[in-house]
Amino acid sequence: MFRLCAIGLVLLAGWMVYLDAVVTSRFEGRRFEVPSRVYARPLELFDGASVSASALERELSLSGFRKGDGKKSGSYQRSGNRFVISTRGFSFPDGDEPRRRISLSISGDRVQGFSVIEGDNAPIVRLEPAQIGGIYPAHKEDRVLVQLEEVPALLPTTLMAVEDRNFYDHFGIAPLSIGRAMLANIQAGRIVQGGSTLTQQLVKNFFLTREQTLVRKANEALMSVLLELHYEKDDILETYLNEVYLGQAGTRSIHGFGLASQFYFGESLKDLDVHQIALLVGMVKGPSYYNPRRHPERATERRNLVISEMEQAGLVEPGRAARVRGLPLGVSERPSYSENRYPAYIDLVRRHLSRDYKEEDLRSEGLRIFTTLNPAIQYAAEYAVTDTLPRLGGGQGAEALEATLVVTAKDSGEVLALVGGRDPQFAGFNRALDANRPIGSLIKPFIYLSALQEPERYTLTTPVLDKSFTLEFDDGRRWQPKNYDGEERGEVPLHKALSRSYNLPAVRVGLDIGVDEVRDTLTAFGVDTPISRYPSMLLGSVSMSPVTVAQIYQGLATSGFNTPLRTIREVTDAGGEALSRYSLEVEQVADSAAAHLVQYAMQETMQEGTGRSAYYTVPQELTLAGKTGTTDDGRDSWFAGFSGDLLAVAWVGRDDNGPTSLTGASGALPVWSKFMAQVPQHGFSPVVPDGVNYHWVNSEQQALTDEYCDNARLLPYIAGSEPTQTISCSGNLERRIRGWFEGLFQ
Amino acid sequence: MIDRISFRAALITAMLSVAGCASGPGGGIYVPVGDEPAKAPEPPKTSTDTVDSEAPVWRKSEQPEAAPEAKEPSRSSSPSYRETGDGLSPAALSLVREADQLLAQGNVSGAIARLERAQRIAPRSAEVYFKLSEAYVAGNQLGSAEQFTLKGLSLAGSDIRLQRAGWLLLADIRRARGNVAGADQAEARAAAL
Repeated sequence: MFRLCAIGLVLLAGWMVYLDAVVTSRFEGRRFEVPSRVYARPLELFDGASVSASALERELSLSGFRKGDGKKSGSYQRSGNRFVISTRGFSFPDGDEPRRRISLSISGDRVQGFSVIEGDNAPIVRLEPAQIGGIYPAHKEDRVLVQLEEVPALLPTTLMAVEDRNFYDHFGIAPLSIGRAMLANIQAGRIVQGGSTLTQQLVKNFFLTREQTLVRKANEALMSVLLELHYEKDDILETYLNEVYLGQAGTRSIHGFGLASQFYFGESLKDLDVHQIALLVGMVKGPSYYNPRRHPERATERRNLVISEMEQAGLVEPGRAARVRGLPLGVSERPSYSENRYPAYIDLVRRHLSRDYKEEDLRSEGLRIFTTLNPAIQYAAEYAVTDTLPRLGGGQGAEALEATLVVTAKDSGEVLALVGGRDPQFAGFNRALDANRPIGSLIKPFIYLSALQEPERYTLTTPVLDKSFTLEFDDGRRWQPKNYDGEERGEVPLHKALSRSYNLPAVRVGLDIGVDEVRDTLTAFGVDTPISRYPSMLLGSVSMSPVTVAQIYQGLATSGFNTPLRTIREVTDAGGEALSRYSLEVEQVADSAAAHLVQYAMQETMQEGTGRSAYYTVPQELTLAGKTGTTDDGRDSWFAGFSGDLLAVAWVGRDDNGPTSLTGASGALPVWSKFMAQVPQHGFSPVVPDGVNYHWVNSEQQALTDEYCDNARLLPYIAGSEPTQTISCSGNLERRIRGWFEGLFQ
Repeated sequence: MIDRISFRAALITAMLSVAGCASGPGGGIYVPVGDEPAKAPEPPKTSTDTVDSEAPVWRKSEQPEAAPEAKEPSRSSSPSYRETGDGLSPAALSLVREADQLLAQGNVSGAIARLERAQRIAPRSAEVYFKLSEAYVAGNQLGSAEQFTLKGLSLAGSDIRLQRAGWLLLADIRRARGNVAGADQAEARAAAL
């Protein structure tokens, strides 16, 4: 018997040693894996800022602002186009944005009368950014870590009043409080108190499974005692506040009061009122049973019970308790962000992050990732795709049509929006990044840019031959390019050949300056994959993803400055310390003057050429530049173009690469135009580069002419390459007169 | 050499206070869409009645045909251009001023962060790029500084003051990088203005 006891004691001691090791190693080590948070770009508010009233309201809601009196931080008031916003303040990587109360109105999609009513005065204020996603640990636990000293004092005291009155006095387990809980439950006629201490609850969540067995209960008690032996009460309490499970959002579980406060109220823990604290503490008992969004009556009842407990414990004055019992729950309508709202965009962000960060760190270190996503632009882009795609024809298999849209800021290369398919919520194949498709005529601006960089050989009015020809290769194969419409027009001025997207002149010019020259241009503009040397590349047989197309068009839009696309501005650690900055970079890769000439022809495309149907949708005043692209049998319909502020690339086609009856103008362009029409922005109006002069010319005759002639066109020329001949409105008059005079004096 | 760059960069700073609120004439027209846009006309449709034919449908032009001729947008305007870039708005200017202070304190990355904010709200202002160049000079990243100067110059247009400031800055940076020929060329451009 004694021996049996001894063996039992030894085994128990051994077990205790094991449990102790479990408890200390888990508690000592990294206690929580905290997901990384991904933020949208913050909205900058100042006089003249471009934003519509509805977009501002949407943005505020996305950032967790609530419609209210505009006095409480995190709320706003709107009357007509006037807004009063109380910001919460935010710690950005480059400094803190303090709390302010600001007033502004929106007129003509611009901010006017911006002023700071309360707080540090400033002509420009950043709203806190919307959280647009997270990179979660495998177990999908989400939390915002809080420290005990930053928690409002009422929270832990209420928690103790309800869950564990003697927390600071017991040694991990409290037999007395189990008895008291039983008594209280009997008095109330139902369960109002649990018998477990906070320490036991923490141990249960932290180390043990949920099954209710005697062995587990015993382990829980032993481990609780061990935990108390090793650690301070405050340490245990803080860990509890961060660990406790308080809800579910899809597959993501909401842990800790810090996140719960944001999740249910859209507010920071430190800003919570009595009734909100009471609700959260009440929910500890059963987060799904008392879910305030799904079961508001139950939640209210539970909350009011907690308020009574607070009153009994002397934490709240009776008068105030009565008053707050009458308040509504005050939960936000929906969580301030839903997980993976922008799967295609987050996918691109993750790929950029993977260059510098390990996946495990992203999942556990609580990094803060500040992206360039513009929620208003993303909204417009998603709408453009989902609204337009069903209206397109597309012939057989139209239901299989897919589309992507990439939008960047023209001068910074920031990726503002990304739509990866007809269902923007679908987190699967990301066509914007992974669908490499032939770009068709989107290559033509690069052919002509290569040519126009030699002004002694090519200008916008150089006649190029629209006439078929056959190319015979060494191996005897023949290649005979054709125009889209099968027609031939003889000599056409270069600008017209580009704006009408004629194939034959493009191939002729490309062969004249050399396929290698065109390849070099494409590489300089950001193509990082091998490009075919076959002349068919001049008709766009080269394949690219929509994001790569956006990259190379960036250089065209900025007059020859390559601007690497970025989705991330900064990454900081959990404490706000900067880890990486991804700065704006520019690199001149083409002569600005030549690029300006190409921009002219790309504007002409929109006004007279293959892109003109954009103006069915887009306001006439919005000057644009762009290019259509279509591949054989309509397998790929492309449109790439830009305004003064934005660059967008649209692609429409089928995943199985099947034929459609669409062209760039009838497939991708409607998507592109629908997007452009929704966004307030500046028209495209490039600054004339040094060394470029505009002249009135008769472009068919390659001669200077009079401004008022019917066929006069104001065209840019690189200095020295302008026409030398002059022609009058009615024909060759001037030359004829000169001829007559010359004859007279000879 | 760096001293000299600082000197000419200071010229730009001084100039900024003058350029101040002047916004560039003839800038790209701002086109609002309004909160409740009139219902946009339907995008041009391509006929879907061709399902019986296996072969893809070819049209004479890349333009969709279905839209009736009457709806053809009449575009009388010609491609747009302008002689100068934008000036700095008060908001952008306040960020540039903050950047100046940070730069004076030796906080280059802080200054660049401010200037990038300014660039986002005034992306067509030559001054912003010159200031970025100045910050990169302070951070001894002369390659980036040169590129930002070139970018600024591409937006200076017919503004002689900006042109001169840009070319002189470029000359200093190129000389500091050991590109004497390039520096002389830039200086000559400034002198020719």
